Amino acid sequence: MDATLLNTLRDPAGVPFYPVVFQALYVLTWALHAAFVLLAIGSITLSLAGSGKQKRSADWKLLTAHMIQTGKISISLAILLGIAPLLFTQVIYDPNWYVTNALSGIWVFAFIYALIVGYMLFYWFYYANKKGGGRAIGLVSFAFIVFAGVLMHVFSVESIQPNEWMGWYAPGGVVDTSGLSFHMHPVRLLFMVSLSAPVVGIFLQNYSDFLSTRNDFTKEYIAFARSLGTTIASIGLLASAALFVVWMFMEGLLLNPLSLAIVVSVLLLLVMIHFVKRSYLTTLWLVVVALLISGMRELIRFQIMGDLGYSVYDYPMNIDWPSVVMFLLTFVFLGFTGVAFIATLAWRAGKSEGVFDASKDALVTRLANSTFAILIVWCLVYFGWGMFTVFKNSFA
Amino acid sequence: MDFIGMFPLFYFPDIGSAWLMGITGTIHILASHTSVGAALLFAFLAHKAYKENRTDLYDYMKKYGMFLLIFSYVIGSITGPGIWYTATAASPRGISALIHNFVWVWATEWVFFIYEVIGVFALVYFIDKIDRKTHLKLTYTFALASVGTLMLIIGIISFMMWPGNDAFYQTGSASDAFFGVNTFPHMFLRIGFMIMMAGVIGLIISSAMKNKEVSNELTRKMGYVSLLGGFLVLFFFMWYIKTLPESADILLGIYLPSILTTRIILIVAFALYFLLAIVKPQYVRRSLAIVMLFVIAVVGLWPGEKLRESLRKPYVAGRYIYSNQIISRDVPGKGIKSEVEIVADRGLLQVNPWIPDRLRTITPENRLETGQLLTKLACSNCHALEPGAKFRPLMERFAGQDKEMIKAFMQGSLATGAIPYMPRIDLPDAEFDAMAAWIATQTN
Repeated sequence: MDATLLNTLRDPAGVPFYPVVFQALYVLTWALHAAFVLLAIGSITLSLAGSGKQKRSADWKLLTAHMIQTGKISISLAILLGIAPLLFTQVIYDPNWYVTNALSGIWVFAFIYALIVGYMLFYWFYYANKKGGGRAIGLVSFAFIVFAGVLMHVFSVESIQPNEWMGWYAPGGVVDTSGLSFHMHPVRLLFMVSLSAPVVGIFLQNYSDFLSTRNDFTKEYIAFARSLGTTIASIGLLASAALFVVWMFMEGLLLNPLSLAIVVSVLLLLVMIHFVKRSYLTTLWLVVVALLISGMRELIRFQIMGDLGYSVYDYPMNIDWPSVVMFLLTFVFLGFTGVAFIATLAWRAGKSEGVFDASKDALVTRLANSTFAILIVWCLVYFGWGMFTVFKNSFA
Repeated sequence: MDFIGMFPLFYFPDIGSAWLMGITGTIHILASHTSVGAALLFAFLAHKAYKENRTDLYDYMKKYGMFLLIFSYVIGSITGPGIWYTATAASPRGISALIHNFVWVWATEWVFFIYEVIGVFALVYFIDKIDRKTHLKLTYTFALASVGTLMLIIGIISFMMWPGNDAFYQTGSASDAFFGVNTFPHMFLRIGFMIMMAGVIGLIISSAMKNKEVSNELTRKMGYVSLLGGFLVLFFFMWYIKTLPESADILLGIYLPSILTTRIILIVAFALYFLLAIVKPQYVRRSLAIVMLFVIAVVGLWPGEKLRESLRKPYVAGRYIYSNQIISRDVPGKGIKSEVEIVADRGLLQVNPWIPDRLRTITPENRLETGQLLTKLACSNCHALEPGAKFRPLMERFAGQDKEMIKAFMQGSLATGAIPYMPRIDLPDAEFDAMAAWIATQTN
């Protein structure tokens, strides 16, 4: 595989904006996606552990129910946030993306259904647990979700091995169109999975801080959740750090500045979970660590492709300003206002006991009205622009 | 050696990889259309409940919301990227063309989708936790955001059929591609279907309610909602088919008579069902409501989507990318060049990067093997290759023909592009010969 062929596989339409922007968006959105994947894995694991302990402990009973809820919402957000990196990677690394998916076509198809079955079963677990049972179904659900995660890992690993592609597609010179390619990198996978422990541990610290202002949760329960979170995060961080070192050693990147920055930032996180009282600050640092890890993934891919002579920065461009402007305006106005509206509403409703009267909350009301107005204006612009374009082109 | 940008081939025996996409696509359409329709229905119910202070309607909304959260949002949100995923395996250059034209449109849809997904959780879980006025505002914005996702995706899937005029090819502009002649009729057709589906799902919930008086009232309302949606579907379908390209008209002429009877039966059956809900709501039991949902999915949706996929042939996107990955025309606005002549001149074996060296030149020893590979490359996106296969079986088309007859068809019709719904596949004589030789071994 060389750059000439890789460049031939690029889409002839070119990219509609500067490639570096897609690359940055990829790193950012992958970090967000990974955060919720890890929170989902961590919270589901904890809920399964809790479902075995809840008969003996009231603390575990409450925690299990909340962890199931956390897992449920996290999977949804992981899927939602996973769409963006999927989109951006295939804009600038389309040779990698499409070759991998064709080589592993049958697994690509299986991935979707593994995720659907796993997620639907998790809802079943959610309802069964309300009656105190359903652990077996929870385990089956978890197995499907983990399988889907393994498949996604396989696609990532295959996509950064261009030199292997032809050998997988036509082993011994015989073409295999079955789409059965399946290749793993166990250390990389274990490192990624191990991060779910610190993520759920720090989440538990956030959870106890959030509930500490409410009178309907006991101090003992809040202390239990925080202590459990600290223990899980500590063990998880040590395991993650060790696996990361092994992975970087295998990649020959152990002494790379970004790699060293990740090790230092992970150790700093270890200190923070023990000594920083406001766990939201720890979470902010966790986001930085996630961005660094996302950056490391991209660095590995960028270097592999660079060694073959492929650079995303020389991807031919056909800038399409109208759609760029549409995205930016929608992202800034609707994205920030709309998410702020629901997030503020959720935060304040969660902090309140009983019904939260948001109509008396000036900020929530202003955000709600603004979101509504933005959506109306957006629709008007859409139809105006659409009608103008259709008429212009039909009568040109 | 100069190649064209074709990707490795993924082929699923008997069904064909493109049909895997069709399966996921149909499930997605059922779930996603229901979710947008439900968002509109939610807004209608929330408005009524708030204005008339109907607390019983909030109970219904909660049940309906939970059902949708599990059914539409779990399945819909996974199969959405799922179509994308399966398409990348089955039609990589087609989906790549869409991505590279519309990446910012998709990114914009993603912003709407974020609001929609966190909105649905808020909508369901906050019914009893926040005041009703704010909940009503949440419901309105949720409905608008849901329709927004449709408004954004519709231009992309309409472009898959065609832009409708020459503007996009000259300018390369995403808005010229997005707002084509069938974008708006397509949108309103789908809005009608969404409203109908919201009613169909609503009937399942209302028919299961314990309070008979409320159950009957809501069943009746859902009957009206479904009937309105069904009417809109029929009305806008008439407009939609008038905006299709000429090759689609030919295909419609072929397929329509066979599906018309089932369509009419389906329309009558559903009209009677909706009228029953309006006139005798007590007769609509949950079992009937569930059966009717499956009827519409299996008998209504699957053939409908199959037809839409078929009408697009021989293209998968923008009428410049054939289903077999070859670019069929110049698009000056994007600097894209047709590849049909290059393939005709040098042959697929020379220009496809994924051919093992030992198969690049046809020899008596490898003739059947290369013939099979070429047939897969050229035909398998639309046709299943196994004798007796289910979807568009290729071998049935050549039943009883010998190699020379098969080759003559290829050179007379395929190479000249004489069949408007099939790609023009012009290959050197040796490659046609190898394909015909292999096909003849399968049919005789």
